[in-house]
Amino acid sequence: MARIQLHDVRKSYAGQEVIHGVTMDIADGEFVVIVGPSGCGKSTLLRMVAGLEEITSGQVSIGDRVVNDLEPRERNIAMVFQNYALYPHMTVRENMAYGLKIAGMSRPEIEAAVARAAAMLELEPYLDRKPRQLSGGQRQRVAMGRALVREPAALLLDEPLSNLDAKLRVQMRLQIRDLQQRTAQTTLYVTHDQVEAMTLADRLIVMEKGLAQQIATPHEVYTAPATEFVAGFIGSPAMNIFTVTCDDSGLLLPGGHRMPVPGLAARGEVRLGLRPEDICLVEDDSPAFPVLLRSIEWLGADAFGYGVIEGSDVQLTLRMSGQTSVARGDRLRVGLPADRLHFFSTVDGHRL
Amino acid sequence: MLRNRRKDALVAAVLVAPFLAIYLLVFVWPTIQMFGISFTDARLIGSGEWVGLDNYTRLASDPRFKTAVWNTAYFVLLTVLPGTVIALLIALGVSRLTGRLQAAILALFFLPYILPVSVVYLIWDWVLNFQFGILMHVFDLLGLDRIPITKSRTWFMPAVGIVTIWWTAGFSILLFLAGLRSIPAEIYEAAALDNASRWTTFRRITWPLLWPVTTLVFTIQLIAQLKIFDQVYLFSQGGRPNDNMVLVYYVFQRAFQQDQGGRAAAVAVTLFVLVIVVSVLQFQLLRLAGGRK
Repeated sequence: MARIQLHDVRKSYAGQEVIHGVTMDIADGEFVVIVGPSGCGKSTLLRMVAGLEEITSGQVSIGDRVVNDLEPRERNIAMVFQNYALYPHMTVRENMAYGLKIAGMSRPEIEAAVARAAAMLELEPYLDRKPRQLSGGQRQRVAMGRALVREPAALLLDEPLSNLDAKLRVQMRLQIRDLQQRTAQTTLYVTHDQVEAMTLADRLIVMEKGLAQQIATPHEVYTAPATEFVAGFIGSPAMNIFTVTCDDSGLLLPGGHRMPVPGLAARGEVRLGLRPEDICLVEDDSPAFPVLLRSIEWLGADAFGYGVIEGSDVQLTLRMSGQTSVARGDRLRVGLPADRLHFFSTVDGHRL
Repeated sequence: MLRNRRKDALVAAVLVAPFLAIYLLVFVWPTIQMFGISFTDARLIGSGEWVGLDNYTRLASDPRFKTAVWNTAYFVLLTVLPGTVIALLIALGVSRLTGRLQAAILALFFLPYILPVSVVYLIWDWVLNFQFGILMHVFDLLGLDRIPITKSRTWFMPAVGIVTIWWTAGFSILLFLAGLRSIPAEIYEAAALDNASRWTTFRRITWPLLWPVTTLVFTIQLIAQLKIFDQVYLFSQGGRPNDNMVLVYYVFQRAFQQDQGGRAAAVAVTLFVLVIVVSVLQFQLLRLAGGRK
């Protein structure tokens, strides 16, 4: 077990830079999730830590060793692949024992280690089966077992749950979190699924276009997104983001509605971010602006309302209680919670 | 979708019929005929008198048949295993190349396979010819004595073996390459993280996963080389065909040079049975060996 340090790590393919300098310090035993849309460079970054991709510039250390020029096998890491990459001609037992055997461990030690991992992952009944005789979830567990049995310095997972059905994904998510907490294994996990990212991570790296947009705890990423991209990417339904004008008295919203917001630091045109759950319906005569409700989705505990700000075509998503009595076509009076507003620069998207 | 099963079957039958008719006419029927003729003293054309197992019992004491059996076995030994190993090595090499270079190198290795045997013979005669062959010039340069390779009992079969491997390796390489490509890259990445060296990865991952293809290549080679004829025939021109006798050549000689259809058929039937027994046996053996891994 060890800490992982990335310092200004960059990657270029044929002169085209795809990772633009990522710096991060992952503590021993920490669970870090790299999340981002497809093509953002998250898998490439993970594979650079693994040694499966060359590092164009910058430095990667695992433990106290700079591993830039080390072969994958010299880095003492284990990886779980999206397609599991189990050895098809070996049984579950052999798959898990393979790395240990090559490392020259004695037979009794190997058997003990495999038995431990198999017990932890409830794989005992399947030890003598071949991967093709297993279900997707079982294969996934074997891949986890093969990685954990080696007690590596770091565990890397590349979209390990994306080939499972929704129910299994939730189960495995909990199991992975549980395993990680029990083994205190330094873990780097790549996913495009924000629910996985939020629930698993001690800290998140939100990536877009080869840049780490924000490196922070899930709570911080949600409550104080560093950029407009992060704000829009994390959270479901997505944050409402639109352009407003700030002046001394408050905000000028699309459609010409003026909302008094005291103590605003920003001036001029800014991007305003509003989480759907932070928008409140106003019953009394406190300040509000009108929203026309176009449709409503009722999900039981919650109801999502989709509307537009009156006099504009800016769409707004509202999260309401499942008990709400509003209906399609209603004209809602909506207020802004002054302490839950997110402002981003119209120039570079950074948080103001 | 509802379908009319009887109509489907009719369409299927109509589509299969032309092939089936030709197959029955030019393969199955002559094969049955051949079995029949092998028990007669028929000449090449026309029927003959029933002679029972005579044609077969005579084979046991026929020196030329013995030579043919030994030469065929020797040739199989010289070509099948070495040919398979060489094709595997070349395929492993080619698979490490990428892009156009890979295509170009593969094309070079495959090129001989598309040549007709007569051209192969001419190319290699140009190399091996006692008087003009470039290999003889190399021998001269090295101060070695020239060897009449195609006229020598020692060198004839090994030389034809090398020519055959050169000629047919392309197809085996292609099969091995297809096999190598079907092994997912992620498995190699997993192996790389599992601390495996290149040799260990080959021995523990590539080799077992390639085993079905190896079995296939080996079997195809075995069947093809048991039926060796063309190369031996061509290289024996002006040489010593009776010393270089192989089974198919012997069939050819009995039937077309000595006008003994019955005796030729007996040899052909023997070869037919031999090919089936040997190839089925080795295919099963290799499969079993693979299953134990």
